[in-house]
Amino acid sequence: MSIADLLWRVPSVQMAWRNLGRNRVRTALATLGIVIGVVAIASLGIAGVALQQQATADLGDLSNEVTVTPGEDAAEEGITDEQVATIRTIASGSTVVPEKTNVTAIESRNGREVQVRVTGVTRASALYGLASGDAPDRLRSGALLSNTTATNLGLERGDPIEYDSRLYRIEGLITSTEGFGSATGGRLVVPVSAMNDQQYYDSVTIFTDGREATALTDDLEARFNEGGDEQVDVRNFADVQQRVGSFFRTLNLALLGIGSISLVVASVAILNVMLMSTIERRGEIGVLRAVGIRRGEVLRMILTEALFLGILGGILGAAVSLGVGLVLFHLLTDDPLLVFQWRSAQYVVYGFGFAVLASGLSGLYPAWKAATNRPVDALRG
Amino acid sequence: MTVIELDDVVKRYRTGAEEITALDGVDFRADRGELVTIIGPSGSGKSTLLNMIGLLDTPTAGGVRLDGREVTDFSEAELTAERRSGIGFVFQKFHLLPMLTATENVELPSMWDTGVDRRDRAVDLLERVGLGDRLDHRPSELSGGQSQRVAIARSLINEPEILLADEPTGNLDQDTGATILDELTRLKEAEEIAIVAVTHDEQLVDYADRVVRLVDGVIQ
Ligand SMILES: Nc1ncnc2c1ncn2[C@@H]1O[C@H](COP(=O)(O)OP(=O)(O)OP(=O)(O)O)[C@@H](O)[C@H]1O
Ligand SMILES: [Mg+2]
Repeated sequence: MSIADLLWRVPSVQMAWRNLGRNRVRTALATLGIVIGVVAIASLGIAGVALQQQATADLGDLSNEVTVTPGEDAAEEGITDEQVATIRTIASGSTVVPEKTNVTAIESRNGREVQVRVTGVTRASALYGLASGDAPDRLRSGALLSNTTATNLGLERGDPIEYDSRLYRIEGLITSTEGFGSATGGRLVVPVSAMNDQQYYDSVTIFTDGREATALTDDLEARFNEGGDEQVDVRNFADVQQRVGSFFRTLNLALLGIGSISLVVASVAILNVMLMSTIERRGEIGVLRAVGIRRGEVLRMILTEALFLGILGGILGAAVSLGVGLVLFHLLTDDPLLVFQWRSAQYVVYGFGFAVLASGLSGLYPAWKAATNRPVDALRG
Repeated sequence: MTVIELDDVVKRYRTGAEEITALDGVDFRADRGELVTIIGPSGSGKSTLLNMIGLLDTPTAGGVRLDGREVTDFSEAELTAERRSGIGFVFQKFHLLPMLTATENVELPSMWDTGVDRRDRAVDLLERVGLGDRLDHRPSELSGGQSQRVAIARSLINEPEILLADEPTGNLDQDTGATILDELTRLKEAEEIAIVAVTHDEQLVDYADRVVRLVDGVIQ
């Protein structure tokens, strides 16, 4: 015997189902209210998660990154070799990548010209993700070029590229969006020796090794910028990320709040519908009580009716919300199936749970009123 | 054998500052196998008396005994249980549930009883009141007389000792009323039950074994 058959044998369930069937329009409208409430809660919650995931994906994983650039009161036009050496001792164990930057135009064989940022680094592998080829730990005579620029110019791996009247061989292609800094524009990565005419480094990137980026930032500040003297500018993205995170938590709460209001409205509608229908059926319920149906049995019957509205609306609402979520995730993160991860799917569960809870609560008063009405009074008219 | 007994029952209603004495010291009893009709002018307390007999309401003073048991001080839950097992009701306006079929309406009082299936008895009762071909009809598909016969079948589903009817023929024409009364007479003999009927209908008086006249809450 199936669960449905078993349920059907529960008199309250059977009676409730039939009572709801008596006024289909009213039942449908009450259910619609719940559907809207559930969809509001669930899809706003899912939207929050999708937005947050899109934003974090854009930010990349920057929590272990610290950048040092020349400060306002810097003695030289950049970061000196001596300063780099100090950074290396302070950040021992971490990967320290000093870079020099410049801007140049590169020309393809067919005469097209593209402006790119040139970066001279020692350790390219720490900074760049590669679409193809490999980034040797230390660049000597090779170069890396951003993927998009290579496509634009019709260049491929192994082709020669000229910078400052010297030729380099393209050893790898850099994926176009990687982290914060390299999000826009083309980029050419050459050995740091290629930029020997620039005496100082423009920036030093440190990839901390287990150590807190904020702690390292404090150490560097203390060492270089003693007494408010801004020799270097030290930045990490930990607090940016933290702020982004807390912004989305607030946003999500606000969205859920808005969603909950519509579910509260929906449960008031259920309260109204149940109250109306029990008042209309006053005589009928009086007959039930007269022929010996107990108060508790009447109460359960009416409560089941309200719960049915909630469950029905909850199921429909959950289905619609998942559909909305699929679309949202498809638009924002390109992976619609992410909607089924618990982080976002939980809001569908909350919406459903809230719907059942709200309808049960709004059913309580009408059910109690119907059950405690004295049969003599009900039968008198 | 006496099924129900009322002892010097008084019922007062308080509406605002006014107090109405609907029943003023009523003694009443009904035995198995007899049909008692209660007649009297409008407002004389007939329905009030029937509510006392049917344990739907409790008297302000006096005692009620069902099957020789004192039920005067029973709680609402206990009274409900007594109504369920021992008393059948037939109302002037039939009061069938519109979303249930004739058979389901007859089963209704036993519906919440766990582990009992009264389907066969319901069908049997409907056949006995001549509705064997209307088992799956809804109340809206039945005539007044047919509806009242469904109501009678419903009142008998739990094998009561007493059947109470408030103006059972009030909504029916003369002929249909007569068939209902024939039905009740047959049942009272076959099932050995007491029937108490309130009426304005002189016709019902002819079927009665005993007539109780009520005026201003006092039996004449
Ligand atoms: N719940 C109540 N509250 C106040 N007064 C009531 C109530 N029920 C009945 N009464 C009063 O008690 C008296 C008897 O009423 P009851 O309904 O028993 O009369 P009845 O004989 O059945 O009349 P009818 O033939 O019109 O049905 C009437 O005066 C009525 O107004
Ligand atoms: Mg009356």
